[in-house]
Amino acid sequence: MSVPRSRLLDLMKVQCRIFSHTFNPKGLRLGNHVLRQRLKGPALAAYYPRKMATLKDLRKAYPEYEMIDEDEEDRLESLRIIKARGKGAPKKKRTAEESKKAKRR
Amino acid sequence: MSMFRAKKLDLGCFVNIRVIRDHTKRKVFAEHEPERQALRYIIRNLSLPASTRAKAQLQLTQMHCYTRPSQIRNRCIEGGKSRGVLRDFKMTRYNFRMRALAGLVPGVKKASW
Repeated sequence: MSVPRSRLLDLMKVQCRIFSHTFNPKGLRLGNHVLRQRLKGPALAAYYPRKMATLKDLRKAYPEYEMIDEDEEDRLESLRIIKARGKGAPKKKRTAEESKKAKRR
Repeated sequence: MSMFRAKKLDLGCFVNIRVIRDHTKRKVFAEHEPERQALRYIIRNLSLPASTRAKAQLQLTQMHCYTRPSQIRNRCIEGGKSRGVLRDFKMTRYNFRMRALAGLVPGVKKASW
């Protein structure tokens, strides 16, 4: 009841054709496992959350509505208070001469 | 490297240079992954001539380091730290604890029995 090897190989060939496997009876290293791997790039690239719509975008999309940015208002308010007390940051020096003078002092 | 970096920042999480760098590496790797896999296939295919495989090996090693998956490291989206990051929440253990106790992490509850 023994089946010849050539017959078994034929069967395997047909099987591989039907299920779209690679026919490789000698078990050679053809590197097909690399081709079978799924690409993991898209999953890795999606790790960090992307930027969503900001208030700036919202303002641009709906110029007819007035929107209030509370954090920005707070910042400007505190700046105004500091400037009024004379504790604000000095003006940016424009030329090399001006910056030199500031250093000497 | 800065030549790969996006011209406009597209991150919505905590941002520092290390987070930007890692994000850039991820995008560069995703872009070059098919090329890398093709080279890997040539290298591992023993039926190809040895010179072809050697050439592919050289080409793979000479690709920019940003295209390598091993350059990528998970960082905390709350503080940018790289150590003690819980993979499921993408946060360091401390940030996770603070946010979980504040009830900001969905489906997480302090165990008590």
